[in-house]
Amino acid sequence: MRNKLIKNLNQVLLVLGIIVLALLVGAIIISFSGNSPLEAYFSMFNGAFGSKQRFMEVLVRMIPLVIMALGTSVAFKAQLWNIGGDGQFIMGSILAMAVSLYSGLPAIIGVPVSIIAAMIGGGLWSGLAGWLKVKFNANEVITTLMLNYIAIYFLSFLVYGPMMDAQGSKMPQTALVPEAYRLPLFESGNRLHMGIFMALILVVIMIFFWKSTVGFKIDLLGQGEKVTTYSGVSVKKMIVLTMVISGLLSGIAGWTEVYGVQYRLLEGITSGYGSIAIVIALMGGLNPIGILISGFFFSALLVGGATMQRMTDIPYSIVDIVQGLIITFIIARTAINFKEIKNKIARRMGHVK
Amino acid sequence: MEEFKNNEYAVEMYKIVKEFNDVKAIDNVDFLVKNGSIHGLLGENGAGKTTLMNVLYGLYHPEQGEVIIKGIKSDINSPTKAISLGIGMIHQHFMLARPFSVVENVMLGRKSRKGILLDTKETAEDLVALAEKYKMKIDPYAKIWQLSVGEQQRVEILTALYQGAEILILDEPTAVLTPQEVDGLFDTLREMKNDGKAIILITHKLEEIVCIVDEVTVLRDGVMIGNVEVDCNTTKSELTKMMVGRDVLFNFEKSLNKTGEKKLEIKNIKVLNDKNFLALDGFSLDIYAGEIIGLAGVDGNGQKELCEALTGIRKVESGEVKLDTINIENKPPLFSIQKGIAHIPEDRHITGLALDWSLKKNLILKTFKDNSKFGLIDEKKIQERWENARIAYDIKANSGDDSARDLSGGNQQKVILARELENKPAIVIANQPTRGLDIGATEYVRQKILDAKGDGAGVLLVSADLEEILQLSDRIAVIYGGELMGILPSGSDVKKIGELMMGKKLEVKQNA
Repeated sequence: MRNKLIKNLNQVLLVLGIIVLALLVGAIIISFSGNSPLEAYFSMFNGAFGSKQRFMEVLVRMIPLVIMALGTSVAFKAQLWNIGGDGQFIMGSILAMAVSLYSGLPAIIGVPVSIIAAMIGGGLWSGLAGWLKVKFNANEVITTLMLNYIAIYFLSFLVYGPMMDAQGSKMPQTALVPEAYRLPLFESGNRLHMGIFMALILVVIMIFFWKSTVGFKIDLLGQGEKVTTYSGVSVKKMIVLTMVISGLLSGIAGWTEVYGVQYRLLEGITSGYGSIAIVIALMGGLNPIGILISGFFFSALLVGGATMQRMTDIPYSIVDIVQGLIITFIIARTAINFKEIKNKIARRMGHVK
Repeated sequence: MEEFKNNEYAVEMYKIVKEFNDVKAIDNVDFLVKNGSIHGLLGENGAGKTTLMNVLYGLYHPEQGEVIIKGIKSDINSPTKAISLGIGMIHQHFMLARPFSVVENVMLGRKSRKGILLDTKETAEDLVALAEKYKMKIDPYAKIWQLSVGEQQRVEILTALYQGAEILILDEPTAVLTPQEVDGLFDTLREMKNDGKAIILITHKLEEIVCIVDEVTVLRDGVMIGNVEVDCNTTKSELTKMMVGRDVLFNFEKSLNKTGEKKLEIKNIKVLNDKNFLALDGFSLDIYAGEIIGLAGVDGNGQKELCEALTGIRKVESGEVKLDTINIENKPPLFSIQKGIAHIPEDRHITGLALDWSLKKNLILKTFKDNSKFGLIDEKKIQERWENARIAYDIKANSGDDSARDLSGGNQQKVILARELENKPAIVIANQPTRGLDIGATEYVRQKILDAKGDGAGVLLVSADLEEILQLSDRIAVIYGGELMGILPSGSDVKKIGELMMGKKLEVKQNA
């Protein structure tokens, strides 16, 4: 038990270390660009936490990111590189939107149905990639990526065509979600909606999920196909199941965005969340709590960066740079053997003595 | 040896100390190797043999001590330096580029004699000449992945020789070889010795090397225990005692052969290997309760495919496998697990264990459903399970939360045994259960297999180690080219078994 605690603590310290390192290196780059790193970081921090409104905006951003990262983490744990979070998000949001547009169900039934529809949309979309892998040995990196494009253009087709708002301004978007269907806001004038509870509940569910037998099997698959088969677990079934679970979570993320923020479908609804969710999942060590923490950090970075750009002359690309640095350090972490370095230092100390 | 009058020794290492995190892996060891000799470096796993050799090869830098190569004090700080001093090392796990050909592998890291063009043809010719000189057979244009393990080892040796090695270190070279390949290797080593080269054999299997080495240095827990001259007549019990620090019983009590009813019936099965060739071609064998049937054979004659077919991992193309009266061929692996077929796989690291997982979780790989409550893994239960297994199987680990990767090979195998033998299996399929283990662990694993038999299990023991087969088996079956060559009674002549292993069929009365 204590060992576990120390392990978790190490994980947290490591993530903090990565962030600090990224900010430090980022500071050097910012000062090269002729800006003051202190000013940049301050206005970024201020932009994220300077007012209640801004802080709530951070949480709004966090909702879909954390849920998608949870979905990504499921596949990654099994060493399935599902990078099609965006596509699954879109398919989930399309089906969820369809329920509110066409079903005519009362909200009390319609909302749960829309969640299920979102799960089906996202789950089937990535399940398809899983099936292709099992059936034709198609690499999931390629298929999920390609399915992203299909989903993106399918969405465009829908919002320019069959699902376009008939009464509206002829903009490429659907009609609004009926008010009864929408996720309630915390207070008017702010965008923070009850979807935050969905994100938190899913974090808790995922903590238990990894202690369940299904989680056990997915984790086992990540340890290798041979040991999985040997243990009496069907690799093919698990690949498909893992992808479905991974995708249905991204589908739910789509649901929160449609029912809680946008209230309609429109082009570019994912805002590239998929790639950020991958970074969040990796930085969180594929662990639900870790994902919650790193999701919060990234949301603050994104919102703070956007505010910073509005308030100062410092370009938004700073945010991209810091993000890029974090990815680099995460990858470097797996490549660098810290134990070896520790040993080396210990040896050096030994020599001095 | 006359030409090396000036320096008697090729390698002189004095008072070597090597520490890892304040633990002395090697403590004040002197190690001397004469020119033109074969020197055994003996010790249990973890005794410091490989560490000492890694110091010599420049992979580790010692805290103290000096190294003298051919009479010249040398500071070997990298393998490059070691190679330039004429030291070559053949690691236990080969360092070859598998998609490349033999000659391409030898050329790696060398400058071509033809500038920007490759000197493949010339190198290949040199290589063939070199191989012939040392009684090795090699096709320089064969791709590495096409070669057997023994042939790959030859490529490693040739590479070292081609780089001009005068001192050759071989880490556990016989562990992966068949008896025939071992003989071939030893012929090569003798040639090299006659050529004045110094050869160091790291090993823990002394029985295999007593006839070839001139001298043996024994290490235990990082300390040098002794340096003895040996020949074919040296008894191994003496050396074993030096290695282990106590007497080791190699003669197991074989309980009286009271075999029960027929448990597993393999009838005329055909099974494909990974490359879609027939690995088993009409193989039949019966296994009875309470017996150990040893399956002898040169590696790669269908043993692995047989074990996988019996456990549902591999498809059976035709034929039948019956457990009692139930057909189990082509059933999913879970089916044979539930029916009580235990499987100790050949490959601990990839198949037998989830290496990054905790020991606790590795113990329930196959029974996680029984160790869960409401769909959640029951932490308390698996902790208990671990405590019991740790004691019952003498697993040396700090806690059940340690990852399997951190354990020694012997302890890893104990974890597998604890898992597989826990529920009194009906059938035990043990594929190379002691490969790569040290003496203590080998002894332990063999005893556990005997215990399983005592509990009434029918055991199929697959091993390339004839000594193991002879020690444990009640009947000895021999496989060659995916076919059963015959079944011999326990205590059969090794030569007879060897003949069958080479593909000579035993004349048997045909039963209808």
